[in-house]
Amino acid sequence: MPKNDHYVIIGNGPAGNAAADTLRASDKLARISIISDEMFTFYYRHRLPEFLTGAMDADALTVRPYTVYKDNNVRMRLGQCVERIDPADKTLYLKHMEKVHYTKLLIATGGRAFTPPHLAPFRDSLCFMTRYTDALQLKPRIHDAQSILILGGDLISLNVQQQLLKAKKTVYFALNPDSFWPLKLTPGMAARIQKSLEKKGVASCVAGDIQDIARRKNGKLEVTLDSKCAFTVDLVGCFMGLTPNIEFILGSGIDTERGVLVDDRLRTNFPDVYACGDCAQIYNPALKDYWVSVGWHNAELQGRTAALNILGDNKVIKPLKQGVLEVEGLKVNTSWWKKF
Amino acid sequence: MFLLKEKRLYLRNEEEKFEGTAYARQVVRDIRFSTDARDFGYIAENIPCQDACPVHTNIPGYIRCIFENRNGRSYELNRMVNILPGVLGRICSRPCEARCRHGESDLGEPVKICHLKRAAADHKHAGHRISENLFAPSGKTVAVVGSGPSGLGAAHDLAALGHKVALYESMPRPGGMLMYGIPEFRLPRDLLMLEISNILRLGVVLHTGVAAGRDISLKDLLKKYDAVVLATGTLSPNELGIPGESLPGVLSGLDFMMRVNQGETPAVGERVAVIGDGFTAMDCARTCMRFGANEVTVNIRKTEEFMPVDEHEIFEAKFEKVKIIGLVNSVRILGKDRVEGIVFERNRLEFSRTGAGRDAVPISNSEFEVPCDTVIAAIGQNPATDFNDVKFKLDGHRIFTKKGTHATSVKNLFAAGDCNTGASTVIASIAQGRRCAHEVDALFAGRRRKTMLVRFEPAEQTGRQRAWDFIPPVPMPAADRSARLADYRNEVEQGFTPEQAFEESKRCYLCYLKYEINVDRCIYCFACIDVAPRDCIKMIHDVAIKPSGAYGDFVQTRDWTDVRAIAIDNKRCIRCGKCYEVCPTQCIHIIKTELIEQDLEA
Repeated sequence: MPKNDHYVIIGNGPAGNAAADTLRASDKLARISIISDEMFTFYYRHRLPEFLTGAMDADALTVRPYTVYKDNNVRMRLGQCVERIDPADKTLYLKHMEKVHYTKLLIATGGRAFTPPHLAPFRDSLCFMTRYTDALQLKPRIHDAQSILILGGDLISLNVQQQLLKAKKTVYFALNPDSFWPLKLTPGMAARIQKSLEKKGVASCVAGDIQDIARRKNGKLEVTLDSKCAFTVDLVGCFMGLTPNIEFILGSGIDTERGVLVDDRLRTNFPDVYACGDCAQIYNPALKDYWVSVGWHNAELQGRTAALNILGDNKVIKPLKQGVLEVEGLKVNTSWWKKF
Repeated sequence: MFLLKEKRLYLRNEEEKFEGTAYARQVVRDIRFSTDARDFGYIAENIPCQDACPVHTNIPGYIRCIFENRNGRSYELNRMVNILPGVLGRICSRPCEARCRHGESDLGEPVKICHLKRAAADHKHAGHRISENLFAPSGKTVAVVGSGPSGLGAAHDLAALGHKVALYESMPRPGGMLMYGIPEFRLPRDLLMLEISNILRLGVVLHTGVAAGRDISLKDLLKKYDAVVLATGTLSPNELGIPGESLPGVLSGLDFMMRVNQGETPAVGERVAVIGDGFTAMDCARTCMRFGANEVTVNIRKTEEFMPVDEHEIFEAKFEKVKIIGLVNSVRILGKDRVEGIVFERNRLEFSRTGAGRDAVPISNSEFEVPCDTVIAAIGQNPATDFNDVKFKLDGHRIFTKKGTHATSVKNLFAAGDCNTGASTVIASIAQGRRCAHEVDALFAGRRRKTMLVRFEPAEQTGRQRAWDFIPPVPMPAADRSARLADYRNEVEQGFTPEQAFEESKRCYLCYLKYEINVDRCIYCFACIDVAPRDCIKMIHDVAIKPSGAYGDFVQTRDWTDVRAIAIDNKRCIRCGKCYEVCPTQCIHIIKTELIEQDLEA
């Protein structure tokens, strides 16, 4: 490798950090930069629900301190937002009008909370949480709230409701079986999850989607579901899955569908541009479908594989062997989700 | 370029007019007109919205009228070139917004040009006066076959040019695809009929339920009229060409929409798979949601990025819970007595051989089944061109016309719109119909009677504020989901209120204003450069000239000995007016630059 290589990684999650470690281990001289629009160093995102309810403090969220990057000669650019990519010119344009050139680029921007388009009119009344800053803003509101309705459209919502129950909040749960992420729930599975949640102390668990949200004079929210159930609560948390963070890529020529389309070597349609983790979409021959992989373990694995290919290897990412995931007492076969 | 002194009469202000103390003051201004290629080139590059519009609507002009609360004038500015402003304000494909300079990198999002067009139509006052420039009767007769957008465009302009027009329509009501292709929840029919009646009022005789080639022969039409314009659109849907296509439950998108728009409510079942990525596919999917389907998917070969519909259309479909499935290819339809499912295969994207866009390439062994009750194939349509008695040359499925004209291979027979170009957009079809009308008129008159000119008029400072550049786009008020699904006819978009339209109109940069520095008076003080919010004022050495004759980019220099002028780059200028305000020698001029249609004297 020439010594003037500049590897740029967009994203400071498990995929990006695993890639940076692998790159540095094999190439001691190259410049490595991690660019992240978050202000916080690498943290355990799946533990945010515990932080949210005060069960964990901010320090415990941190995976590694800032000094590690300094020791590894990895330039960490926090709070910097990539606005667009020019893959033909190998240039990134940052929001603060800076241009960054790269020799190899890895996109590992992960996902963010997905708002289904039909919920867009109620967006101002809903709370979302995928990042540390979201949790930081939401924390005092959770502290003050007595009753919370969770729009449960994903596995994270189950984690959040557990933490809220531990924090002695009154929790209502509206399960969305039609578009539960990332599992496809059958009516039987949905019924069992509902039963299990109520057993654990959730005040009421119903299947349904929002029809209307009205704010009362006392500040409370009156939520009507399409199943005609109504709840009056202090907060409504929306957890409807993740969507890849790829807006800045659109229009660059890099192919995307739900995520960045990559082949089994994590290469995009442009040479020297790779993508991995929750933002990458790979064709899975076993599923006969494109899949956006999820979970910490997958992200790290993909980050390492992408880094090796950036260094000139030819590693193929293989779908993980089928395993069993337990969701509210249900055992679900999965080949892509092992743990958070 | 030639110079005219144009006398204009102004009322001093609105209050005086209403208090009955109005008096006119005469203003004489230097209005210049140009046919120079460089000026047309300037318009194309510096007013990109107008250039993108197939009929070259004066977009900054009509948005400024909305800002000035002159909705009637705004509507008329539209109607001069686009005969159906209220209709297009609802269903236009918006090529202008894709090129709006407010949407350029670092400048935010495009102005909601289309929504403003609708606002002008909605808020013009009830007694609004329609303006038409009518020519004296010519005594010539023309039959226009087809009353869709191109037929209406042709009929309108032919009638205004003084010819007697008979408009033939095979369906019971006029409008073509507007009436039978577009769902009512996007385009209310009373509004459509109102704008069509504005065209018919010019003396156009409408014959509905008369199909050329079936009820009346094309040969007879050619005998009876001095010219015939075919504007029959595209009524022959493309087929999927896969096994199972003939099963009950497999419909073409066009047939489905036509049945719905004639009052039928086809049973679509619980699960519908729509195949196709265009406006018809989206309309079919959204219509099925209104007819009780629970799960509607739009299956596309590539990805959303390559869909020919705009983001707004995709959002509205998703809002109604339509799912868009990308990278799939239909392989065969399953079922015994009717549709039970469909087999797709996955695609991957590859750079196309031409270098433009992507090709969808099927992945081997990737077939998968999807159960469904109805399959709707909305993969485009072709012209139905079989008139039996008159044989004209075809270009594939389309009617052949001589290059750059609308003349077919048969004397006095013209073709315009989708039957000539293949399926396109409503606004492109109107442009086609109007161009064809002028060609027919030239045949009768022996010369062109209208031409395009660039008009220059000195203008004043607009009062635009820099803060307006940061106003976010005003969202279009829309019916909630339950109201939409309750009745197929319930219009989804509710239109801007006058206040919302005013707010949105403030966002327009008014690119038709050209800011120019008079080099003879410039003292090179740099005050303008200091206040410019962008690098829009440049020290230049030269100006490139394009092969078309249009001005190209400035050749900039930082070497003082090389500077020949300080110039405003109107492609970068956002018309904030700061330079105009600070110039100590008042050497900056503002010139309103408009593309207009003008009569040509004999």
